[in-house]
Amino acid sequence: MLLRKIFIFIVLISGLLGGCGTVELTVRKNLDHPNIHPKTVAILPFTLASSAPEDVPAHKLFRECFFNYFSYLGYVDIPLETIDSKLQAAGLRKFKKVLELSPERLRDILGVDAVIKGQVLDTSNFTGGLHAETSIKAKIIMLDLRTGETLWETEHTESTYSGILSPTVVEIIQDQMENVKVHQVLYKTAKMFSLSMIREIPDPSEVWHEKIRLPQITSIETNLKPNQKLHPNDQIYVNLKGDPGLKGSFGIGSWKSNIPLKEIVPGMYSGSYVVQENDEITSALIIGTLKNSQGLAGKRFYKSGMAEIEKTSDL
Amino acid sequence: MKKEKYNNYLQGLLIGFMALSVSACASDLQTKVAGNLMALSKNQTVAILPIETSDTGQKEMAEMFRLGLYANLKQSKFQLLERYVVDGLLQQNKLTDPANFLTINPMQFGEILGVDAIVFSRINKVERSYLVVHSSIELSVSVQMVDTRSGEILWRAEQTEQDFSGIGKIPTGITTAILAPIQFVTNKFNLRRMTSNMVDKLTSLIKHPSEASEESQFVEPVIAKNATNDLKKIEELQQLKSEWQQALVLDEESELSGFGMEAPEVVAIPASIPVEQNIKSTPVAVKETNRVESEISPLPGKHEIKRSQSAEPIPMNALPTKIAEPIIVIEGVEKNVLPATQSNSAVKQSAPKKPLLYTIQVGAYKTKAYANTLEQFLKRKGYDAFVTRSAKKIYRVQVDRFGSKEDATKLAQRIQTKEKLKNFVTRFSGV
Repeated sequence: MLLRKIFIFIVLISGLLGGCGTVELTVRKNLDHPNIHPKTVAILPFTLASSAPEDVPAHKLFRECFFNYFSYLGYVDIPLETIDSKLQAAGLRKFKKVLELSPERLRDILGVDAVIKGQVLDTSNFTGGLHAETSIKAKIIMLDLRTGETLWETEHTESTYSGILSPTVVEIIQDQMENVKVHQVLYKTAKMFSLSMIREIPDPSEVWHEKIRLPQITSIETNLKPNQKLHPNDQIYVNLKGDPGLKGSFGIGSWKSNIPLKEIVPGMYSGSYVVQENDEITSALIIGTLKNSQGLAGKRFYKSGMAEIEKTSDL
Repeated sequence: MKKEKYNNYLQGLLIGFMALSVSACASDLQTKVAGNLMALSKNQTVAILPIETSDTGQKEMAEMFRLGLYANLKQSKFQLLERYVVDGLLQQNKLTDPANFLTINPMQFGEILGVDAIVFSRINKVERSYLVVHSSIELSVSVQMVDTRSGEILWRAEQTEQDFSGIGKIPTGITTAILAPIQFVTNKFNLRRMTSNMVDKLTSLIKHPSEASEESQFVEPVIAKNATNDLKKIEELQQLKSEWQQALVLDEESELSGFGMEAPEVVAIPASIPVEQNIKSTPVAVKETNRVESEISPLPGKHEIKRSQSAEPIPMNALPTKIAEPIIVIEGVEKNVLPATQSNSAVKQSAPKKPLLYTIQVGAYKTKAYANTLEQFLKRKGYDAFVTRSAKKIYRVQVDRFGSKEDATKLAQRIQTKEKLKNFVTRFSGV
């Protein structure tokens, strides 16, 4: 009996001291089939229902934090700056108006399969006596723009709490000290909120594993010969064969990258680099790159010759 | 007076608590960055590889740690390759054990993942201890970021994070004195919180490399060990290749002047590739990339060219090429035409006295050892290979003797197709 009481007490105290509840995320649609999973996702600007303590832009802070964690999941997440600039280009400067847009309109503007809408409903930050608390209450949903359906949603309050029930005096003091730094503690709370959510959001990563294909490079050729020393005005030619219609470039070790290659015939890319007076290249391999529209790159090293500039001392 | 004493007492208490609170969560971080880290921009992509663990109990922490790395490095200047892309490509290449990652050349990762840098991490320790009124958690990790284009270590860090609960933190009551240590080690939230804090501290420098102090920077570029070994191999191979090419050119010259024959034909070079004019003696650059790949760390499931057991150098032309039109047939008068199916010994037996014989030349070197290596390689394959020495002290590796040029050509083609050895038919001038 006594053991049972102790166990219940431990469970209760763990919940209170933990300060972090499990996010209850409701999945509205079964996303088991690969064709159902949205691939590209945009996290729309979050809204703030009431002003946050010390006027910290809690909604922006939470959106950025959530984006950083969400990128871990198997979706192609569009950078926040890209989303914002697309919305602005469409004349949408007020966040609340964005939430009212129809799925079709959003898809037209952003060109993505799904969006995440976030509303920060409440924020709090209180430090006084033995009690310190910071919380974020938010509602977040994922909307499939292809069907207009809600895929999942959650309304959750994340709190960092410290008070009389904290087990040690040192922790109480620590928490009090941390809680007065409003921006930092709100970010910390947003981080714990995001962390808890990420564990619940359906992750299609494994669906894509077999389907990933980088641009293929079948060969790379250069005019570099073994042990050849380069001099100013020498020209390094690079030819690359691979998938057609991609953005080709080459690099000289880590010293220079993104030197453009021109597609002279489909699948055959060619370019060159003229060695400059002040160039300092030491044992650098030539690396050919083909990049597709999704930003995925295929790379190939030319290993039969290295770029090396003859130093004055070598002469 | 009394009030002053009370204030002093309070101040002392506060300082004591402060000292305790600072010591409560100990952190030891050693981190260094390379100057070239600052050169990474949004044009460069970095992959965070799955985390190596030494124990199955560390899996959860490893997953949280990787998640933390992604979330934090998302705020850096470079692009991150999506986790599912990294994992999918590694899976496709059968690279599923993070324990092997450090043995693989970063350049190979560069080609497999199409990235400019990779982040290796390892969980060294996740230790929980419980002693009734005291419990602690200790975490330790190592991280290394390597440039796949040069093998340079861009960032290296080791971190240990410790926290405890119990009597040392002044419990608020007897019950909490007993329960807090249990709660501390059993509540997963504490591990999650500690891991999250750990990654925040660990990545602060890489997010702002320009703020690195002098002691946090590598004095000189440091190249990863596996990259150093393989770059050295490439350089050695290039050195050898350079010598072989020189020897081949010399030999070709001697053949031309000695017998008035055509020089061996090299692979046709597309007119659109002017560069290849400069690399006539390096016929198939395309496959040479693969050749070198095989000289670097082999990948599971990938075709590897077998090297001689004794690690003797094998000429570049002993390795696979993709030459479609292999041989140059040397002009000469044909005598003693033998059926194609006839055995080599039969060829020898039926050869008349002082006949005009043909042989197949597969290599020519200034260094005898190289010629012998190729000779042994061919002998192991069952060919009647031998080495002859020309007047210009060039060691020529030749195969068999034939009474007819057609027979020699047939075998030459077979060697070309089967052994991928560039060769040509020439007159046999004696051993």
